[in-house]
Amino acid sequence: MAYLELENVRKEFNNSVAVENFNLKVERGEFVSFLGPSGCGKTTTLRMIAGFELPTSGAITINGVDMTDTPPNKRNVGMVFQAYALFPNMTVADNIGFGLKIAKRPADEIKKRVKEMLDLIHLPVKGDSYPYQLSGGQQQRVALARALAFQPQVLLLDEPLSALDAKIRVELRSEIRRIQQQLGITTIYVTHDQEEALSISDRIVVMSAGKMEQVGTPFEIYNFPQTSFTASFVGQLNLLPVTVSDAEGRRCAFNGRALAVGQPIRFANGASVRLALRPEELNLGGASGDSQRNELTGAVESVNFLGSVVRIRVDVGGATISIDLFNERQLVLPKAGEQVTVNFPAESCWVME
Amino acid sequence: MTQASLPLQKPATIRPRGAVFNWIGVIPFFLFAIAFLFLPSSSLFIGSFQNSEGGFTFDNILGLSQPKILDSYWLSIRVSAVTAIGGGIFGFLLAYAVSIGGLPAWVRSSITTFSGVASNFAGVPLAYAFVAVLGRVGFVTGILKDIFNIDIYEAGFNLYSFWGLSLTYMYFQFPLMVLVMAPALDGLKREWREACENLGATSFEYWRYVAMPILLPSLLGTMILLFGNAFGAYATALALTGGTLNLVTIQIGAQIRGDVLHNPGLGYALAFGMVVIMAISIAAYTWLQRRTERWLR
Ligand SMILES: Nc1ncnc2c1ncn2[C@@H]1O[C@H](COP(=O)(O)OP(=O)(O)OP(=O)(O)O)[C@@H](O)[C@H]1O
Ligand SMILES: [Mg+2]
Repeated sequence: MAYLELENVRKEFNNSVAVENFNLKVERGEFVSFLGPSGCGKTTTLRMIAGFELPTSGAITINGVDMTDTPPNKRNVGMVFQAYALFPNMTVADNIGFGLKIAKRPADEIKKRVKEMLDLIHLPVKGDSYPYQLSGGQQQRVALARALAFQPQVLLLDEPLSALDAKIRVELRSEIRRIQQQLGITTIYVTHDQEEALSISDRIVVMSAGKMEQVGTPFEIYNFPQTSFTASFVGQLNLLPVTVSDAEGRRCAFNGRALAVGQPIRFANGASVRLALRPEELNLGGASGDSQRNELTGAVESVNFLGSVVRIRVDVGGATISIDLFNERQLVLPKAGEQVTVNFPAESCWVME
Repeated sequence: MTQASLPLQKPATIRPRGAVFNWIGVIPFFLFAIAFLFLPSSSLFIGSFQNSEGGFTFDNILGLSQPKILDSYWLSIRVSAVTAIGGGIFGFLLAYAVSIGGLPAWVRSSITTFSGVASNFAGVPLAYAFVAVLGRVGFVTGILKDIFNIDIYEAGFNLYSFWGLSLTYMYFQFPLMVLVMAPALDGLKREWREACENLGATSFEYWRYVAMPILLPSLLGTMILLFGNAFGAYATALALTGGTLNLVTIQIGAQIRGDVLHNPGLGYALAFGMVVIMAISIAAYTWLQRRTERWLR
């Protein structure tokens, strides 16, 4: 049996649906992210697990116990909020020890546990500081320690890094993952940042408009998106308007040019569909007769440096596609306006509505 | 490139002039403060140590130890403390109701508007309003007597007494509390309450360990403000009791302007003592306020 289970969970606010048909089984020790655009119901779902919102219908069980109607202070679930929710009137140590103090644990046990937690978050000397004396990143570490100190059954994080700057965000997310793995705690992580979700999760729940779009490992979500929403929300995606020319033989046509498709085509011949392919699957140059590679030609629109990647946009006649190349010193880049040929492997593209 | 030589001069000439202009705006404030705060305070201070011929003396200050004067300080302190605590508690509950209580928005806006007006309603009009309502022949007094057969004056109530005066002061005291505390209560973040609950705390424990400690400085600070507010009130008390209650402000009025008790030197000393008490209150208020601000950064 799954450790945390959401069954047919639905939430309405004043008759408008925020979350529906939510079914999820999370294993003990698993790290699951909810990923989706703003307003898709990530926070609402998380708050239902924490007990701050009651589902309109459906059930939530943790470790076999039905928690659907249990008040938040009886759930034994730790939560880290987006904004700094540390108690401003307490020191870092008092913040971390608060849950244990409420549980009436002996003072020396609290002290010991607080010290362990401070070591865990790499802030061993900040116990006597007040929250306002810490940086945003340090405050979120403390918030994490506070949520973990009383050994909750499940850890919930609602965009804990969104208020921090990019560098700290990357640093802290691997820190969170390290701590999560070290403690083996079952974790739900809410984010709208796909890179974040891909980099730290065991599994990702992609959400859109209150519904689950797809559940899978980062690898599955990125490489085998099952809906067009997932495909376009996670990672960059080129969409080429094509016509199915031979569904059986996995071929379609773009501007009269035949393209081979790696995945099965579930559309009838003649259907107008879109060919999806990731920018990093494309290369400059011709296919040199390889029947498992497709070729397109067009004029370069722009060349942009994105650090480790160079993104080239090419107008292939009726559509613009992006090509991501690793930024290597020996790279010979085309200029805007130049005619180029690009190629991509058949197995890297698929057809969708 | 010639960039370096070009833009340097302009800011150099503009900035100092800008600085002068920036200060022009606050000059009236400084003039005002000098004319009506600094000069009177220093003349109070000097007057407290001067006899009627203008010579130096400690008589005025020593005169403050007369029983009548000490009584007046004690009475002023009691009235101020009672109305600060009473108005503070009542105002806090009202502020709680409008900010956290989940009432409709119009309730809040009407109570805030009322508080804005009422906190400035003092002096003769306030006194007469209370006389008209709760005086011996006041409107409510009459209704209670005629319809409910309750004679509040028989029962011991007297508008012109200590408690009557305190009740009247409450009219401008609690709205001030509402005005200051409502924003402070708004400042309690939802996350604090939720984090508390999440860590297993009850609502009571949230108030005990988080909300109250955070609010306490502004709560106490505002009560000190109310204390000073009542301590300095003069016209309301004079109009209501006609000078029968021996408050410090009324004593000062009597010493400086009165025909019978005329002793300006003692009046100055009384006022000087008041300034000291007010200064202590303001210092305490500022200190407490700063504590909260530090937390809430
Ligand atoms: N308390 C509430 N009352 C009414 N509607 C609400 C409430 N909370 C959330 N909603 C609505 O429910 C939907 C989902 O909101 P939710 O906060 O879960 O989105 P989210 O995925 O967390 O978005 P974000 O990334 O912006 O945080 C939104 O349409 C929102 O307006
Ligand atoms: Mg959210």
